[in-house]
Amino acid sequence: MAERNGKVVSAKEAISRNVHDGDHLIIGNYTVGSCAALVYEVIRQSRKKLTLYSQSGIFDVEALVGSGCIDRLVTTYCLRAGGRKGGSAVERALNAGTLELEDYTNFQYNARLMAGMHGFSYIQVLEGAMVTDLFHKRSFMGEDKYRVIKCPYTGKNQLTVPAANPDVCIVHVQRADKFGNAQYWGALGSVAAAALASKRIIVSCEEIVEHDVIQSSPHLTLIPAYRVDAVVEIPWGANPTEVLGYYNMDQFMYGLFMAADGTADGLKAWLDEWVYGCPNHEAYINHYIQKFGSKCLDGIRAKAFYSAPANYGSAFTSRWDTEGRERNMGLTLDEFELTLKQRGKLYE
Amino acid sequence: MSKPYTLQELLVIAVAKEIHDFENVILGVGLPTTAGALAKALYAPHATLMMESGIIDFEPLLPLNHIADAHSCRGFSYATDLFSAFTMTYRGFVDVCFLGVGQVDRYGNLNTTAIGDYYKPTMRLPGSGGAADFISYAKRTVLTMLGGSFVNKLDYFTSPGYLEGGDSRKKSGLFPEGSGPTMLLNTKGIFRFDPVTKEMYLAQIHPRVTVDDVRKDIPWDLKVADDLSETPHPTDEEIDFIRCFAPAMSAGRELAMELTMANLMKQLKS
Repeated sequence: MAERNGKVVSAKEAISRNVHDGDHLIIGNYTVGSCAALVYEVIRQSRKKLTLYSQSGIFDVEALVGSGCIDRLVTTYCLRAGGRKGGSAVERALNAGTLELEDYTNFQYNARLMAGMHGFSYIQVLEGAMVTDLFHKRSFMGEDKYRVIKCPYTGKNQLTVPAANPDVCIVHVQRADKFGNAQYWGALGSVAAAALASKRIIVSCEEIVEHDVIQSSPHLTLIPAYRVDAVVEIPWGANPTEVLGYYNMDQFMYGLFMAADGTADGLKAWLDEWVYGCPNHEAYINHYIQKFGSKCLDGIRAKAFYSAPANYGSAFTSRWDTEGRERNMGLTLDEFELTLKQRGKLYE
Repeated sequence: MSKPYTLQELLVIAVAKEIHDFENVILGVGLPTTAGALAKALYAPHATLMMESGIIDFEPLLPLNHIADAHSCRGFSYATDLFSAFTMTYRGFVDVCFLGVGQVDRYGNLNTTAIGDYYKPTMRLPGSGGAADFISYAKRTVLTMLGGSFVNKLDYFTSPGYLEGGDSRKKSGLFPEGSGPTMLLNTKGIFRFDPVTKEMYLAQIHPRVTVDDVRKDIPWDLKVADDLSETPHPTDEEIDFIRCFAPAMSAGRELAMELTMANLMKQLKS
């Protein structure tokens, strides 16, 4: 755990301190608002032999697999560029024998994290999948992909999956304070479970806000400060994906990525230009604006639709009323102290 | 006579009619979202639309980009998580869900994971996502098949339909009574499942399509309903809604992509 107050760092520092070769790395976001800037930084720092967990593999998984960071992948969904005629980095790596993939359903994947988050060693999942090839075809997890147990109460066979506790979670949220309290709203997906199941947590956010903002809206805090190791402020940190209340999906940049992702050479050229060619996310955004102008980004900025404020107020915040009398006993502080003395409660 | 329609509009309407008023509906991306929006506007105003990412009771204003897309509505009523969206399905609170098809066999079992060998795939498809669990526990499942193929044997068995047919799904003891796929829609017609054998049969055919056209895609001897009906001509109201809500859906994926790419190239040049 980083020192309190010392958590606000650059993406470069956050990744170099917390993501190591051979780690089990989890992308905390699910389909929406992926932590693009942190993903690109992992690629820039050429981490190797990672086991990657991703609830729903989109451009983020493709970029990580395509850049050779990943040996093993645990997921429920793979992106494919260009439909039937196209391809994907995952498909190419499977065929080259450089990637092992373990397939789960959305629920099973999330359940593994729920078990990990709550400290259980395994968790029951929905038994229907026992008849499918998800159950029968296994990769690197072998016997431990699923196990069937007998319910001690009903006697029925139950399908179970083992808990997952990844080494490090990278996740992008709307806002956080400098202590690491991370607030996220919208499609909750498996964001909280992915983060809280992990041993270390790196949060990137659109903006760092005052602690008071967090205290007046604790229902939006998905990850509490005491679990967070690093906080990075990165505007447009999820581009080309979207962040609710900040910006929409960037169809233009996503289109460029998808057009490139269908072939290994195309993806390499894209990574060279947009990841290796930019020292950080600010440089990526600057390069974007320099090359294509700011029209695309301006066109996807969110218009406000504020949540109705939830009133966390109370009638009073002191035991003493406006006249200085204790609210139950009706005495002023002087009268109270006099009483304590008269009753023999005070000692010199 | 109503105004002319596109094939995709016809398909969206057929799917939308599977959503009944007051039902709880899990929507997938693409055709089902547009069908959900249409149903909510015209046929089932009290339906509760849900996404597996935990967005519950939303009113779509735009077609969804994906199943965690809160940008396509103006807020929503209940923000829960993915885990709860599935346990709610497991407990029987979801009436109908919609799944896409890579390969399907005669009993509605699905492959959305891989074509060819699973470990060295000819084509790696998305995977299960929510599919295997939804078709297991939703009361009804509607299969929307825009690409994909009918096969005698799946390359990979992702999601359980009626297993080996007959009462095999029921006998397995793993699924709620009466659950399973109820309808499959493709670009040629609508298929339903025989109540006893659970084999899919052609129940409805789209205009300008013959039964032989349908059979061409199917490697087994397809059964056809005695009372085979034709998908009705859409009303103006239905067409207008879809064209306004999801113009790319009206155009179909290929044309929409072509027009989008042309526009992208234009933007790149300017």
